[in-house]
Amino acid sequence: MTDLAVETNGLCRRFGELEAVRNVNLRVEAGQFFGFLGPNGAGKSTTIKMLTGLLEPTAGSIRILGLDLVGNPVDVKCQIGVVPEGLALFDRLTGPEYLTFAGRMYGLDRVTAADRAQELLDFMGLADRAKSLIVDYSHGMKKKLAMAAAVIHGPKVLFLDEPFEGVDAIAAGTLKAMLNRMIARGATIFLTSHVLEIVERLCSHVAIIHRGDLVAQGSIDELRSGVSARRGDGQKLSLEQIFLDIVGGERAAVPELSWLE
Amino acid sequence: MISAPGKQEQLRLVGWLRWRLFVNSLRTQRGKIDLISRIILSVGIVVVVLVVGPLLGAGSWYAISHGKSIILSTEIWFVFLIWLLLPLVITGFGAESDPASLLRFPLRYSTFVLLAFAHGIFDPVAVAALYWLLAMLAGIAVASLGALLWAIPGLAALALFNLLLNRAIFAWLSRWMAQRRTREILGALFILVMFSFQLIGPLTGRYGNHALPMVTCLAPAGQLLPPGMAASAITTGHAGRAGRASAELMGLLVYSGVLGLLLSIRLQAEYRGENLSEARRETSAGRSTVRAGWNVAGFSPTVAALFEKDLRYLIRNSTAYLNLLAPPLILIVMGLGNGGSHAKVPVFMRATSFFFPLSVVYVMLILVGLAYNNLGYDGSGLPMLLVAPIRFRDVLVAKNLLHTLVVLAEVLAVSVLGRFLVGPTPPVVVWVTLAGALFILLTNLAAGNLVSLYFPRKLNFGQMKRQQASGLAVAASMGTQVLLAGLVAGTYFLSRWAGNLAWCGVALLVLAGAAWMAYRRVLDLASGIAWKRREVLVTELTRTG
Repeated sequence: MTDLAVETNGLCRRFGELEAVRNVNLRVEAGQFFGFLGPNGAGKSTTIKMLTGLLEPTAGSIRILGLDLVGNPVDVKCQIGVVPEGLALFDRLTGPEYLTFAGRMYGLDRVTAADRAQELLDFMGLADRAKSLIVDYSHGMKKKLAMAAAVIHGPKVLFLDEPFEGVDAIAAGTLKAMLNRMIARGATIFLTSHVLEIVERLCSHVAIIHRGDLVAQGSIDELRSGVSARRGDGQKLSLEQIFLDIVGGERAAVPELSWLE
Repeated sequence: MISAPGKQEQLRLVGWLRWRLFVNSLRTQRGKIDLISRIILSVGIVVVVLVVGPLLGAGSWYAISHGKSIILSTEIWFVFLIWLLLPLVITGFGAESDPASLLRFPLRYSTFVLLAFAHGIFDPVAVAALYWLLAMLAGIAVASLGALLWAIPGLAALALFNLLLNRAIFAWLSRWMAQRRTREILGALFILVMFSFQLIGPLTGRYGNHALPMVTCLAPAGQLLPPGMAASAITTGHAGRAGRASAELMGLLVYSGVLGLLLSIRLQAEYRGENLSEARRETSAGRSTVRAGWNVAGFSPTVAALFEKDLRYLIRNSTAYLNLLAPPLILIVMGLGNGGSHAKVPVFMRATSFFFPLSVVYVMLILVGLAYNNLGYDGSGLPMLLVAPIRFRDVLVAKNLLHTLVVLAEVLAVSVLGRFLVGPTPPVVVWVTLAGALFILLTNLAAGNLVSLYFPRKLNFGQMKRQQASGLAVAASMGTQVLLAGLVAGTYFLSRWAGNLAWCGVALLVLAGAAWMAYRRVLDLASGIAWKRREVLVTELTRTG
């Protein structure tokens, strides 16, 4: 039996009348680079918030590295790193101050936190802005800093909500290099992204959520085979084609806008 | 090919936009409560504005009919200063809503300018000031219809000048407010101005007699400024010196022309698409070695790191300085107001027995309120505290530790000030005061921690406007203070009745012990409450707009 890094059973979340996530059963094996996809409003961010303890599920269970999240929140949090939707930065600190703070929040001693913060700042190309407050950083710099803070304690599972949104190609390259290195060292990465090309290039496995339901899960090759078999055309499909096929984006013809020539 | 809508249509659309924004703001409970509180507050202000109008009218009538030009001049200066300063105080030296955000649409320059002026004309302070000017005009008309010949152009030119001045100030302010550094400098300047106002009374009382000749010397210079010119144009015109009155009216128009020019430079820059960035210029001098975080003796590394973060936040928050500086500065003001002499300190503060306790109560009243929304400035960083493997009680312990140290520093400052202002405080009073302060502090920290978890509200840095905690938090804070005042007063009077004030200290210390137990209990519960309420905390504290 393989070790599961992330496992959910019957995960649900309601917001009043709206059932944002419905009976989701995720299986992410340790060491996988896992992409969690879905159209806007499908329930991706709600799911990742529940997986990281920021949102309470209405029903169902979550196990991270075999530990029940509700029963052992602190133990689980020690093992994971998170870059949440709003980045969760304390923007009146400088980059180094924030990283050493984050390191100590995850139990690193003062000196180790400072050493790793320095290394991360150099790696992310942020060392030259060590005296600037985070509020003065560009969006890409904030993303890199949030990523640095998420990995400073060497997490075994990394949750990233839209890590490449608003990041330029150079910064994205740095982030991808770091993530690939983490995978090589045995970490598990769970990310959501709208950029399907990046997911296809980075991830070995994906799950697709649509209107709150998990509609597909598996390796990209498995999904490709399934969709190809259903279409019966034998064509090698891109992740975008697989995605559109699964969430129904190609079913209805895209209507013309009458005033656009 | 479509063409941009006409000016009227664009203005109508912007009016519709503002109306929808207002209506939609009422969809939330918070929006409704804000509207109700605004209406309640406005009632009192409207009454004051309405009452002042006839008073100004009567003053103008008296000034014209009895030849008292100084009264008319004073009234005009009053309206001018209110129109100039009140909008700044109300917005807290902040930029108002930004018409530049509409520039993505094909907005005509004339519409853009009209929108800028509409902001100025429909500002409640401007409406009140215009009403006062009309009341003055009515008073002048009753006194002498002939004076209207000069009063109408004089007051109209002043209104135009004020409108342009108001617009020019906000246009330049919005430029400065666009960048964090200048925004924070302006915030600090605002605090300085507020304290300077506090000092006017005491300084006048102390140095007024010496300064009077100098002020009298400067008074004629006031006639060269727009309010003085408007008043002078009316009175000299009414006195039959048409040449001088006309020259003063021309002078007013020249002032308006210069302001109009400055304003148009700013508005044109905005219209052309000037977009000021938040970020400062990148410097390579920023590189430095990362230093290890702090240790705080007696506390865990987690609490130490949180304490370091909170202290850095406090130091970088110019708005917080207002609360920190207020108690000692107010005491200095009171000292100055009484000539610095011990004998002249007000009766209730004169006795050495009362100065220290009253000062400490004042410090507590100012500072304990901050405990009722102690997560407010964490804002978008809060989720990080929730995903980190820490107990949330440590977050509150660090905040309470900082709060306690600030209170201690302030108590120390006012006790040193008291030593100079009224002399040494009797030891029994110090003992009772400190015991009471401990009780009040611990109770407020316990209640504040609970309220902060249940009714959080995001606070913005460098913003003075509408920065209060949620209505329920304020109510809880006030209720706690009333309860504490009753308990402390009851304990005090019982010990007075028993004939031994020292017992009051003992009783308060026992109450402080009970408060300590309550505080510990709240801390024990805090992690569980934060975990249960994490969704509310994240939603409220990461809210944008």
